[in-house]
Amino acid sequence: MESPSSLSLWPAFLPLPAFDPFLGFALALVFTALVGEVLARRATLPRVSGYALAGLLLGPLVTGWFSAVELERYRGLVDLALALLLFELGLRLDLRWFRANPWLLVASAAEAALAFLLSLGALLAFGMDWSPALLLAAIALGTSPAVVMRVTAELRAEGQVTSRLLALCALNVAYSVILFTLLLNLSRGAAGAGWLQALWQPFYLVAGSLLVALLVAGAFTLLRRLFNPASEQGVVVIFGLLLGALAILAMLKLPPLLAPLLAGVLVKLRDPRPQLWARHFGSLGGVLVVALFMFSGAALYIGHFGTALLLSAAVVVARSLGKLGGVLACGRASGLSTAKSVALGLALLPLSGVALLLAYEAQLADPALGAQVLPVVACLVAVFGVLGPVVTQRALIHVQENRKGEEA
Amino acid sequence: MSLQAFSASRALSIGVELELQLVNTHDYDLVGAAEDLLRLVALGDKPGEIKPEMTDSMIEVSTGVCDNYGMLLEQLVGLRDTVAEAARKLNIGICGGGTHPFQDWGERRIVDRPRFHHLSDLYGYLAKQFTVFGQHVHVGCPGADVALYLLHGLSRYIPHLIALSAASPFVQGHDTGFQSARLNSVFAFPLSGRAPFVETWNDFGAYFEKMTGTGVVASMKDFYWDIRPKPEFGTVEVRVMDTPLSLERAAAITAYIQALARYLVVERPIQPAEDDYLVYTFNRFQACRFGYAGTYVDPETHWHCPIADEIDASLTRIEQHAIELGVDPVLGRLRQAVREGRNGAAWLRERHAAEGNLPEVVMAQCTRWMEGEVV
Repeated sequence: MESPSSLSLWPAFLPLPAFDPFLGFALALVFTALVGEVLARRATLPRVSGYALAGLLLGPLVTGWFSAVELERYRGLVDLALALLLFELGLRLDLRWFRANPWLLVASAAEAALAFLLSLGALLAFGMDWSPALLLAAIALGTSPAVVMRVTAELRAEGQVTSRLLALCALNVAYSVILFTLLLNLSRGAAGAGWLQALWQPFYLVAGSLLVALLVAGAFTLLRRLFNPASEQGVVVIFGLLLGALAILAMLKLPPLLAPLLAGVLVKLRDPRPQLWARHFGSLGGVLVVALFMFSGAALYIGHFGTALLLSAAVVVARSLGKLGGVLACGRASGLSTAKSVALGLALLPLSGVALLLAYEAQLADPALGAQVLPVVACLVAVFGVLGPVVTQRALIHVQENRKGEEA
Repeated sequence: MSLQAFSASRALSIGVELELQLVNTHDYDLVGAAEDLLRLVALGDKPGEIKPEMTDSMIEVSTGVCDNYGMLLEQLVGLRDTVAEAARKLNIGICGGGTHPFQDWGERRIVDRPRFHHLSDLYGYLAKQFTVFGQHVHVGCPGADVALYLLHGLSRYIPHLIALSAASPFVQGHDTGFQSARLNSVFAFPLSGRAPFVETWNDFGAYFEKMTGTGVVASMKDFYWDIRPKPEFGTVEVRVMDTPLSLERAAAITAYIQALARYLVVERPIQPAEDDYLVYTFNRFQACRFGYAGTYVDPETHWHCPIADEIDASLTRIEQHAIELGVDPVLGRLRQAVREGRNGAAWLRERHAAEGNLPEVVMAQCTRWMEGEVV
């Protein structure tokens, strides 16, 4: 006689269900979206803070719903989400503004340089080696474009602080990616990979990205004559265009960050008309954004604590001082009141997806170096990814640049 | 409280105030940038003034007292260039037009000044809805009684001035069907409309004392009339115009008012009467709704004709005065515009038909205002 089995009621003609990892991802997505929504409604916090928080909860640190391996599986989604946001950010950057107000470029250089130097100093003071410290400082000088875009969109923010926030963010992302690539290759050059190779790489990054950006911008301009970008077909066309660009970038072994940003800038330079299609990106773009922030939160795991905690605390302080100091120093000259300069400095604090992608790149290039860089970046992203959006949101509300939500 | 004395000013001197829109260059909605802009503008020794207005996406530029059209245009160009340069530093746009075509009035913010907070407390949402943009023209008067004569005389030309300046067909994202929808926002105020029919400063003083006695008004500033006397400047102030889309049109309308004023004061062609005002609101409505094509009813003969024809006839009537003031070429171009049906509202509707969306219309408005047009 056969032993009774719990499965005896299962019809024999059906195959046994195997757990599909995609189901785990789908459930996580639902949970993340819910956390963002609850925080936004109950505590009027930015949704992206909730997404990042949910990521922390789902990640290896708390529940372990996700492991680092699984994160890699959905890397394509993260890249596409970032590419969309960076393209949109580029579209909002009008280079003609810098000609009318060159002090903005000075402010940008000052905040980025101070954030870099102070972070570097703090890391060296706490005993980190030069190579990882330089890479970390290059990552720390950037601002999260994803957070800045989402928080300003959620508030429908407009005004001097908002437009400068977006402009400085676009610039410091570009600095961060280029400087990081340069430093990573220099450190490998120093380790014997060849100096010529080390210097060629950043040049290749800029020139290659510019070339792809020109292609995307040209294609977008042509397609815009045929499609209304705000229509459903238009959105599909833009998604397709950026997916194509990502594929080309992957073939050329170029990071997916710089080219979409440059493409947006080129489109705006050639055609200053308002580009309002992005607000119609709708549900598909929304899913990507939720996934992006979920992953940024999930990068932290317990092995990251220890020295990384202390180092990242030092960078949190140094980087905040650098951004605030740089913006404040040039505030008056660039035509911004002191109160608004403080708000701008604070609004520039978020750090998120781009920082993590760069850290993963360091790990790919040199696992030993990555082991030093990644834990600190994960801690930084946990702090600046969850709290940073709140600071940006409050700063913009304080200077009354939100068109939606509460009055300060 | 009694009315202040009317300080005489040079007859037929002119001055202009223009309320201007501040917009962002991303989606071309209004943007709260008045404080930033005012911090940056430096007029230096250029004449005129740049001031905040009720909500933080408006500014007002005003000329000093000008003797003639040439001086006025020069001052306006100086003001325009100053604010345009500051605007470029802030990456914002400045434009004319009586309304912003798609702003949401609920998103406006009251400027942090005691007077604006007081008005906001008093009028509630009307204060935020008052984010509309007008041109005010002052005409100098040698005495108070002349000023009141001029006030009643000019009130016959309100439809003309509305049709010439009309530049507010769109409100809150929709075509209102009006050429000047801005004036509908002004009518909401309890003390808007026409001034009382009094012909001497003494009678006006008596009226003013009765009104202040009711506690309804505290000063002349509380009257939102279409035309009002401005005793501290010694002027009559015409307030019905939308801010035109170009500075050149604003200057031309001022020249037209100056020539009308000269005609009225020198020739004394009419005998003002309370009954003149029987057709006043009808005429004004026709001008707001239909512009040049509206019906004009003559207050004396009750003859009906299109407003365009009456503007044309008025330009003929005042031709000699225009020549004396040296503005006949300017008024000649204005007459041509009337014959071709060109005004701000028509241009805005054309742009909207061509671009298919309102943000791009505002972008074109900014270019037109900031870069000017050939006179």
